[in-house]
Amino acid sequence: MSVLDKLRLDGKTALVTGAGRGLGRAMALDLAEAGAAVVVASRTQSQIDETVDLIRAQGRRSLAVSVDITDSHSVNAMVEAGRAAFGQIDILVNNAGGATKGMFRPLDTIPDTHWQVGVDTNLSGAVYCCRALLPSMVEQGGGKIINITSGFGVRAAKNNYMYTAAKAGLINFTRALAMNYAEHNIQANLILPGIFPHDDPELIEFWRGGKFIPVGRVGQDAELGPACVFLASDMSNYMNGQMLALEGGGLAGGQAPCGFAPVVPLEEDSV
Amino acid sequence: MSLAAFSLADKNALVLGASSAIGRAAACALAETGADVAVGSTLATLRERAAVLSCRDAIQSQGRKSLAQTIDAANEADVQALVEQTISELGTLDILVNAHDLPFAKPLRDISSKEWRRVLEVNLTGVYFACRAAAEPMSAQHSGRIINIVSLLGERGMINGSAYCAAQGGVLNLTRALALEWARSGITVNAVGAGWTEGMGLLKDTAVQEQLRRYLPQKRLAQPSEVGEAAVYLASDMAGFITGQTVWIEGGALSHL
Ligand SMILES: NC(=O)c1ccc[n+]([C@@H]2O[C@H](COP(=O)([O-])OP(=O)(O)OC[C@H]3O[C@@H](n4cnc5c(N)ncnc54)[C@H](OP(=O)(O)O)[C@@H]3O)[C@@H](O)[C@H]2O)c1
Repeated sequence: MSVLDKLRLDGKTALVTGAGRGLGRAMALDLAEAGAAVVVASRTQSQIDETVDLIRAQGRRSLAVSVDITDSHSVNAMVEAGRAAFGQIDILVNNAGGATKGMFRPLDTIPDTHWQVGVDTNLSGAVYCCRALLPSMVEQGGGKIINITSGFGVRAAKNNYMYTAAKAGLINFTRALAMNYAEHNIQANLILPGIFPHDDPELIEFWRGGKFIPVGRVGQDAELGPACVFLASDMSNYMNGQMLALEGGGLAGGQAPCGFAPVVPLEEDSV
Repeated sequence: MSLAAFSLADKNALVLGASSAIGRAAACALAETGADVAVGSTLATLRERAAVLSCRDAIQSQGRKSLAQTIDAANEADVQALVEQTISELGTLDILVNAHDLPFAKPLRDISSKEWRRVLEVNLTGVYFACRAAAEPMSAQHSGRIINIVSLLGERGMINGSAYCAAQGGVLNLTRALALEWARSGITVNAVGAGWTEGMGLLKDTAVQEQLRRYLPQKRLAQPSEVGEAAVYLASDMAGFITGQTVWIEGGALSHL
């Protein structure tokens, strides 16, 4: 098998939550491109139908399943529907999540429901999906879990509490999966996307076009797909509990603004 | 995206430390994915000379161009000359993999200052020489990929590992700093973090290997090819938004409390 053949996902089935739009859709399309059948799930039927149509147009099998990941009964039913259609599920991408609007809120203004819904969406939903799928992955003799965290999962930001806590929780949950399921040939890893405004002019404006990002630009949704294929494929079979960050260099620094570049020569007599 | 987008056809690479198991695996994986690959050793010894020549032959037998030099990775002139030779014979330098590895373990109080300096010079300063030499042609063409191979000991300590750990940790943070410095020059700088890998210099003792197999979450060591293939991903056009990162291929070892 050649190196690039290891990226092929022929005969595998992937389940991608939140694949009706955005990063989830981009990852679903590339998993299909690499050969996988894809279960496409989210709450908005019209959006997942559209993703399924795009995948079928690539000549792959796909199924739309409506799900609310914050409801574990709904998650269990989604997994059943996926299995009924494709026999088994080999790759789980926990992508559904986000909180663009309610992400920034002073702590004392966060109502219980905001906290609970946010944590359910960004952490518990992924836990429910893993809980529903892992026993069958063990039985099948292997599988891949890919959880989507965020830069806020490893660094804090002003007035960001719920999202930062939930995405950080997802990271250590992933490490726990790696610890416990490694010997069953299951790898659990994370993708950490930087700023991906999905070509939305308002979001691009909000993130100032990525001027503060070391590489000087924001991410394109299509850049996420190849990372997802890499983590879903046999090319990453010894990568476990780890994070692949696509964020243009921000996390490498951060203690000073981007562009901060002092030059301080050595004292002459110390040379 | 089609999987052909990961191809490295028309790219030229230089792999230093191709005399080690991981360096060789990275060089062969890059070649198999379409790159022409020049290789250099870590040390200028007869044993390493045989290793890089054999690596060159393996690359050529895949139908790719190659050249091999037996260099001391801590020698500034050697490294500079090999970068220049790579460009003059292959045409460009698009990918640099620093897989230099001088394994070393001793209680700190027994390490002579000469040994300390040598371990730091090969494992850390050699990476600085290579990055500096590669940065010039890479920024001139406004594109390049630098991939530093580090070990778990860049992130975690180990008894008797002080000098090696210091050097490896240095490479990791050098990676982050250069990623920022060259982010607007089209050069990405990343690391591949190797877990405990078959053939690794620090794993000569088979009893230690057995112990690790029992302890590691994945119950086995990494194959050198698994580490090398991560370099293929980072070297590809598909990884342009990744910089300053470490892709750990470590079988869950770092998740352990
Ligand atoms: N875009 C970025 O810059 C960025 C950066 C870092 C991390 N992320 C993370 O990447 C993931 C995708 O982000 P995105 O920007 O692509 O978001 P998006 O465009 O808002 O899409 C989110 C997807 O998740 C689904 N979803 C949300 N809540 C759900 C629920 N309770 N049950 C089922 N599906 C649900 C949405 O569909 P419905 O609303 O129809 O259910 C939608 O398909 C998220 O986890 C986000 O936190 C994004």
